[in-house]
Amino acid sequence: MPERLRFDDVEEGDELSARSFFLSKDQVRAYARAGGQWSPRFTDDEGARREGLPGMITPGNMSMGILASFLEAWAGPGTLRRLGTTFRGLVLPDRTIRLCAAVTQKDDASRSVELDVWLEGEEAERLVIGTATVALA
Amino acid sequence: MILDLHLHSELSDDSRAPVEAYLKVLQRKRAERPLDGIVLTEHRQFDPARDYRALEDRYGFLILNAAEVETDYGHVLVYGVNPDILARFDFSDVRLSAQALVTDVARLGGIALPCHPGRATVGLCDHYQRKPPLEGVVAVEALNGGSKKGEEARVEELVQRLGYKAYGGSDSHLVSFVGVCATEFDAPIRSMDDLVAQLRDGRYRPVDFRAR
Amino acid sequence: MPLALDPAIIGREFDRTVEGPVTADELVAFARALGETRPEYTEAGPALVAHPTYCVRFRGGRFYPEELLKLIDVRSGFDAGKDIQLGAPVRPGDTIEVRSTVHEVYEKTGRTGSMVFVVIRYTLSNQRGEMLAIVDNRFMHR
Repeated sequence: MPERLRFDDVEEGDELSARSFFLSKDQVRAYARAGGQWSPRFTDDEGARREGLPGMITPGNMSMGILASFLEAWAGPGTLRRLGTTFRGLVLPDRTIRLCAAVTQKDDASRSVELDVWLEGEEAERLVIGTATVALA
Repeated sequence: MILDLHLHSELSDDSRAPVEAYLKVLQRKRAERPLDGIVLTEHRQFDPARDYRALEDRYGFLILNAAEVETDYGHVLVYGVNPDILARFDFSDVRLSAQALVTDVARLGGIALPCHPGRATVGLCDHYQRKPPLEGVVAVEALNGGSKKGEEARVEELVQRLGYKAYGGSDSHLVSFVGVCATEFDAPIRSMDDLVAQLRDGRYRPVDFRAR
Repeated sequence: MPLALDPAIIGREFDRTVEGPVTADELVAFARALGETRPEYTEAGPALVAHPTYCVRFRGGRFYPEELLKLIDVRSGFDAGKDIQLGAPVRPGDTIEVRSTVHEVYEKTGRTGSMVFVVIRYTLSNQRGEMLAIVDNRFMHR
């Protein structure tokens, strides 16, 4: 069985170690292909500009997927029960993004925790915000 | 007395924050963000039946209810909402007249204060470039926890030029950011009546607890 | 209710479509595109399951009901956010039934002007009748 984080090892207020990485246009195109979202706004700067965008953007679904993986890297695969996100700003690729999360509440009965989770751009602006429920061992 | 004058609970469409979780964060982060209370400003709504007294007692923070509404001059926070104000304005209307709101809320016992004035489209600064300034504005939100680069500089210029008072709020939509910006009052505040009186005539200033 | 919509539209199912079957290759490609390397999500075999956000791929056969299409140009839309409630994991070979309802329609103003928000709820289940996910998708129209 894959290792799961233990409920008793987590406290309200715990902050996950933030993860920063460079999100390339090729990665976004690979997601657009695999995620059934092959459209100019996600694949091609010129096509995106024709839609009034500054250049190609990252699909909200991809941001959400990256945040889900970030949470499960902490808690273990298969632990995510709920993820709610608001896409507040454009996530432009070929830039560094930063993933952050903090435990906000623990529920003893279900041995699950609530987290705030967000994705920041290079000026620390919060481009995607959300909350998640993760079930722990 | 330090209050976060602008935040949203999960009752707002784009927020995900339970009120109790806000209080837990404030309790844990007391050293970094020494707040005495919060004022919930849900988007486009006000429910007079909301009652957070049990949470106030449990956590020892003041919890007051206000609203954030949408006008032809951007978004405005309304404090001291009462039945007369609710009868006069439909808070769900996204095209309220800002001038009517500022004037009539004051006449009916509350106070209406523009928020995030530096923000594009939904802030006062953009509208003042095309339209005359509103009459009767007492204060604007000079520090907002959700502001982007450059927005606060625009507000500073506005405050200087028009002599507005300045207040601050976190504009939190996640509990982690409660109290990052807030307002410090010289006088104690125990109720919404106290808050409205202080916002109108008291001395206060925005305070910044963002870790920079 | 903005746009002079009949409130009866809220909560009514307007589409039911069966998609799939899902292949192992699709699941692996999806997970890898998110940078996943964990074997549960990236190695074909009996233990392979879909990445938890794979469910957002499924949007049924019709984007909006007719009443909404008359009032909104779908192409003007942007994805404003999603809420996913997860049930059983998606596995290779699954067929996915997608039921679509209009969950909410509302209006607000933001940095880019006035906007209409449409929330579509997709309820996903597999051929065994297990609930896979409930996805509330918020679309923003300027």
